[in-house]
Formats: sequence, C-alpha cells, structure tokens
Amino acid sequence: MSRKGESSLLLREFPDFAETMQGLAAMERMPKGVVEECREAVALARRFNRTVARNYALELDRRMQEDPTYLPWELVEEANRWGFFTMWIPKLFGGKGWSLSSIAPFVEELASECLAITNLIGVHYFGFSILAATWNVRLIDMISREVAEGERTGKPCLVSGAVTEPEAGTDAEEVELLARARVRCQARRVEGGYVVNGRKIFISNGHLSTWHILIAYEDLERPDETMIAFAVKNGTPGFSFGRMEKKMGQKGCPASELVFEDCFIPDEYMLVAASRLGEMGLLSRAARKANRGPRELGMQLIDFVVSATRPGVGAMGAGVARGAFELALQFARETEVGGKPLVNHEWAQCLLAEMYVNAALARLSYMEANYANSMHGMARLLGFKPLYYYHRALPTSVFDRFMPAANRRDAVTTAFRLLVMAGQGEEQERVASGWASLAKVAGTDLGVRNCQLALELMGQAGLRHDRRAEKCLRDAKLLQIYEGTNQLNRLNIFKCLVAPAAPEARAFED
Amino acid sequence: MIGMSEELRLLEGMARDFALKELVEGREERDRYPFAPLFEEVLAKAHEVGFFSILSPEEAGGAAEPVQALCLVLEELCREDASLGGAVFTAALSRELLRQAGSEEDLKEACAGTASPREALPAFPSFHNPSDTPLSLRAVEEGGAYRLTGKAEYVVLGNVASRALLPAGSADGGWSLYLVDLRGEGVEIGEPVLSLGLHACPAVDLLLHGAPGELVGEEGKGEVYFEAAVDRLSVAAAAASCGVMKGSFETALDYARQRIQGGREIVNWSEVRMILSSMAVRTKAAEMLVRGAAAAVDAASPGWALASRAAALQVQEAATEVTCDGIQLLGGNGYMQDYGQEKRFRDAKQLQALLGMAPLRKLRYIRRVVDGERPWA
Repeated sequence: MSRKGESSLLLREFPDFAETMQGLAAMERMPKGVVEECREAVALARRFNRTVARNYALELDRRMQEDPTYLPWELVEEANRWGFFTMWIPKLFGGKGWSLSSIAPFVEELASECLAITNLIGVHYFGFSILAATWNVRLIDMISREVAEGERTGKPCLVSGAVTEPEAGTDAEEVELLARARVRCQARRVEGGYVVNGRKIFISNGHLSTWHILIAYEDLERPDETMIAFAVKNGTPGFSFGRMEKKMGQKGCPASELVFEDCFIPDEYMLVAASRLGEMGLLSRAARKANRGPRELGMQLIDFVVSATRPGVGAMGAGVARGAFELALQFARETEVGGKPLVNHEWAQCLLAEMYVNAALARLSYMEANYANSMHGMARLLGFKPLYYYHRALPTSVFDRFMPAANRRDAVTTAFRLLVMAGQGEEQERVASGWASLAKVAGTDLGVRNCQLALELMGQAGLRHDRRAEKCLRDAKLLQIYEGTNQLNRLNIFKCLVAPAAPEARAFED
Repeated sequence: MIGMSEELRLLEGMARDFALKELVEGREERDRYPFAPLFEEVLAKAHEVGFFSILSPEEAGGAAEPVQALCLVLEELCREDASLGGAVFTAALSRELLRQAGSEEDLKEACAGTASPREALPAFPSFHNPSDTPLSLRAVEEGGAYRLTGKAEYVVLGNVASRALLPAGSADGGWSLYLVDLRGEGVEIGEPVLSLGLHACPAVDLLLHGAPGELVGEEGKGEVYFEAAVDRLSVAAAAASCGVMKGSFETALDYARQRIQGGREIVNWSEVRMILSSMAVRTKAAEMLVRGAAAAVDAASPGWALASRAAALQVQEAATEVTCDGIQLLGGNGYMQDYGQEKRFRDAKQLQALLGMAPLRKLRYIRRVVDGERPWA
C-alpha cells in the first residue's frame, strides 16, 4: 500500500481526523467573505448592546418580575427596526442573506449583555429553521417575504417553532424516543387539509409571533413515522394562545402555550409529512436509495434544525460565560480587599483566568459546530463558493424580481429537496448533529459554571438585581434545558460521535 | 439521628409541622415580594413559637437552646421555604453578635418587645463580613454618644425590624457594632433590593445622616465579635443550605417517579438515577456534616470552630450544585415557578453568600490553620 493510502486509512481510524477537525476542513472551503460578515455581525451586536440592550435589559427583567404577563412589544419593534429578523433569511426568499456562519458570533455578542433579548431575537431563527428544514420552498418564500414586509412597514412578523408538548419534551427531540412517546398533538387528514388538536408548551416568542411552525403527528401510536409540519398563522380558527409561563429567567422572552382545538389547516399550509414520502416521486426514490424511510426522514428534519440551532444555544452559553466573566472582572477592579484591589490578588487572577478559559472553550466549541453545520447541514449549498458570491453580490431587488414566481413552483421545492435532503449523506447528518450537541452541552455548562463562579466571587453584590450578575445565572440555567436537555444532548453525542467506536452499542435503548 | 436527644427530636418535629403547615401553601405568591405583600403573618407565627430567639438565654426571653436546635429548625424550615430561614438566621446572628459583645443589657432590651416580631428581629447585613471590604458607614463620637453617617448596604430585614445592628468604621481603622433605631432621626430606608433569592426575607440599603447609634460592646472590636459569631453560626448557615438540598431532592425524586419519557418513568433511566444518586449522596453528606459540626460546636470539641466553618463552605457550595440538578431533573418544568425548584436553586445560591464572600471565607479558614489552629485533634 502506498504511504498516502496508509496515512488516509490511519486518519480514518477513530477518532476520524476530519471529524475531529471541522475548522481545518472548513478553512479551505470557506469563502473569505464569511470572515468579514462575522466581523460586521459582531460589531452590529456591540452597537445594539450599547445603544439598546445595556439600559433596557434590567428594566425589562424587573418589569417581568412585577407583571409576568407583560409582552415586550417595544423590544420586538426595536429589533425589527435594527433589521435583525431578516438578516439571516436568504435573499432568495426576500431576506438580507447574511452568511449563516455569522449568526453564532452575533448571538454570543448579544448574549454577553442579555440572554432574554438574545433569545427573543434568536428564537425567531429557530422557528425559521424548522420552516427551512422542510424545504417547502413555496411556504418558505411566502412567510419570509411577510417577515421582510413586516420590517419595511414597522409591523414585526416573527416566526415561532412549536415542538414541545406537556408530555413530550425530550421525546420530541429524537425519533427513537418518539416511537414510545405520549404525544398528544394530532393532525387528522380531512377533505382539503388537516384538523389539528392538542397543546404545545414552552413556545418561546409564541405570543409575539405571527407565524408558528407546528410539529404534529398523524398517528399518535406511531408518532416516529407520522411527523408532520404546518405553518399556522395567528387568527386561524381553532388556534389560540394559552398561558404564559412564569420562568426563573430569560423573562423578557415569553414562553407560551399554543392551543389547537379542531383547528383546520388547509393543505397549502402543510409543510412536509413523513407519511407522504411515497407520494414524492423523484424524492421518494432518492430517499429509498439513501435508506431513508418516514422515520429517518423525521430524524433528518430534527437533525437539520438542531444542527443549526444547538450551536446557537452554545453561543448563548459562550455569551453568558463572557457576560458573567466581565461582571466579575469589573467587580474585582472596583473592590478593595485587604488594602488592595481584588484584581491584584493572585487567587482572584487565577479565578478570572479560569472564567476567561471557560468562555473561550465555549466559543471554540460552537465555532467547530458552526463549521460542521456549514459543511454538512441544511444550508451547506449556500457555503459553496460560487453560490455564496453570487448570492452575496446580487442585490435583493434582483432576487425579488425573479424568485417569488419560481419559488411557487413545486418543481423548485422538489429540486431543493433532492439536493439538500436526499443529497445529505448519513455521515454528514451524524457529524453535524453530534458537533451541535457537543457545542450545546459544552457552551451551556460552561456558561452556567461562569455565572456560579461570578456570584461566588461577588458575594453580596452578586445577589443584587442592580448588579446584573444574578440575572445572568437565572437566565443561563435555561440553556441547559431547551433545545434538548443536556442529558438528551449527551446521548446524542454518544449516538453520533462515540458509537462509531462501539458498533455494538445501542443508544436510547437503556 | 443517633444520639439526638428527645428534646431535640421534639423540636425537629415541631419545626417540620410548622414548615408543612405555614410554608408550603402560598410559597410562590410569597416569593413575589416585593411585588406581593410581605408574609407578616408567617413572621408573627414564627416569632410566637420562638424561632427568632432559639439561642438566646432564658432571662432575655429566649429558649437557651444549643446550636444543634437552631440547625434542626433551619433545616426543616428551609426544606420548604428558605425565606423564613433567612429571617431566622439573621435574627440568630444579630443576637449572637450582641451576646459576643457581652451586651447583656442590649440583649435584654432587644428581646424585651417579645410581643412584636419587629422588635425581636434586629436587622443585620448578614451577607457580608464587614472586614472584607472598606465600610462606607462611619461612626463619630460626640460627648459620649455616637452618630452614624454613610451607607449600609443590603441590611437584611432593614425594612421589617425596628432596629438594626450595623457595623461602622471607627477612627482607629477598625470597626464597631451599633444598634440603630430604624424609625429614629437620620435614617433613610431604601426600597427592598430586588435579589436573586430569599425574596420574602428582604434586604434594603440604608442611608444614615448622623443617626444616633448605641455602641455594642467595645469600640473597635467588631471584627472579634463577628468572627466569634461566625465560628458558632457558620454551621447554622450550612443547615439552611442543607434543608434546601433536601427539598430539592425530594421534589426531584417525586417528579422522576411520575414523569414519563421514552415510554417509561424517568426514574428508571439510568442516567436520571445517576443524577438522583449524586444529589442524594451530597445531601446525606451535608446532613451528616451539619449535625456533626453542630454537635462539635455545642460540646466545644477540639476544632469545633473550624468544623463549623468547613461545614458552611462545603454544604453551601454543594447546595448550589444539587439544586441545579434539582431543576435539571424536571426539565422545562423545573425552570418554571410552579414546582418550587427554581426558587430552591436561587435560594441556595443566595445562601452561599451568607456571612461574606465564599473565597475570602476559604482564605480565612486556611489562615487560621496555617497560623496553628488545629482542625482536628
């Protein structure tokens, strides 16, 4: 065997070199423009923090403590004025088309100031990513253009994602568990559409959104094979908002209950149905070839979404790790202990260094996951250099002239699905999903850890709302829970990244 | 517990009954303070049964119980609602400081108004060691009387009690303790400070403009009294945290038995068991630590003061971790106010700051050992 051949075999041994070095692999493929976009996104977030978030974050949190039913429309409108709700929607669909790689650094920056505000802005892209993951181009186009219109007219149009149910939290994140889950949100096929019954809970931005991307199930006995997604607009008969949760933190971003009572949803708002894979012509043939049945299609949909959103949550962890670190540093500089500034005590320097390390580790993790997702995830085509530059260089107006008509054609949806869904290999799905979970677990655990350390250092000052650190801790704890608890994510890391070294192991079958 | 006297067992049962009867229902609403009314009724009942003067001598209206008794009461109360625990601890601390200062007269006076909890609760900034950072509050003597000027931060119960025990810097560079009438001249009481935890045990910032203060003990000896009180009461702070851990574990276990994911009760997921076990082990260890240290304090066994301080550092930190898991096991539900777990998490972190910044308490601990004090025989 040639030396090169041998090396390549050696590198494929566990842990696979390419799999562990996402950034290295991405470097050669990544368009240079992405770096500039990341810089601009972070600068923009810093500007927003200074002009809006810094003064508003505490006021909003206090207000929510006083009145837990308050809806912060003024924040939604402000973020809308800043253009945040269309920045990462591709120009093909009427958005500003920023590179998806720039969203995580932007999120970290925002999160270093306030996680509630970050979530209110970021979770719109969670809703959007479920919508995008279905690759129903007609509806993506229609809803995205409403978001853009809302930006032009000053009437915000946000998208929420509705997955969690009262009896299915962790279960809704993994098809293996879904097979045994007690889901209740059912979509029954009727003439011309579906009738949906059930409740969704903990839906971030629910009350503030115009469109809701709803995950339901056609057969409650076989939810793993009958996942179905809809786009539901406010005002749809049978759809209403229920209670707003009283959360410990991230109070400025409402968590809502969505209630569906005999809610009729016409066929045209059905995004994708796992059970109708067989009716999808070319696509069903491609799926068969890739060994993807309805169940695998459901998992691919979940993985498309979480591979994009979990690194974002990791970035929120990095952000709050930094926020807590910065508050601790400020405290150490202002506080005199034993006749000299705390910052000049060796032990405090080591503690601050540890906090800096934690924030850096969180950032490294989400960046690796970001690279993995940009190479393997649902938007990987946009990272392809010729497409990237074409998409970046052409003004939105050019896209606006041609795309809406094209996007309405079923053939375009089929083409995209062939390229993105059928074109994604099992390995790609596995690597992107595994890294996303890794970034989520690492970033959020490190984020909470830094908040704990900051409060320990600050003592009495750390307890006070007006000193900000206690809010960091309350806000950060949610990061370990949403987008899959860190326990579910650890199991996913096992399934995606560890199990290849233990082929006999079975995840989710304990 | 082996070796627990009948009397202590009765007291523990009484505190348990009190907690279940008074502290469970309405906990969420009470925790909305300052955006909901203060739980004056509960404070009055706690005062009635003597929770605010457990350690005080009988002649001062107290029950003259050992530190073990205070620990049992705090543990039981905090299992259900640590806010009342915060009030009981602060009352015990301010009275202990008076006792350490040998101010028998002051002590009697502080306990004289036994009819009102406001009188029985001398306010004190119990989340701060006045020796840690420079004090803004200064005392000036004028013809044998003292006047206090400056800011006293985060005075616990400062808007509830009629008097506060306040540390103020003196001319010699040290600090002393003064009793200040909070309704008297020159005292400006701030709004309740919105805080992480113990919402119903409020703290306020006080602005003093030449307010009359009654010197407690000797001038410049504040640090001596404070450190002596910390020796005895660190274990009580640990007991409060231990109670919160117990509440968090019990709620998590109940939930894990009922919640079904992946087609079975989550208590049967082995990773959930691992987390539950880690919570249970750390909580049991905390209980043993608290009880052992409290017994050592009461018996003045060799190394008792360090035992008390070690218990606080260890248990307070463990409580922040256990209550974090306590939320985690309930997932999204744990993060919502309905299940009480998020409150326990906040309360545990708040309790960790009792008696001053944890890292400085660690350094003080080891300084004493380095200086020759023996942690064990």
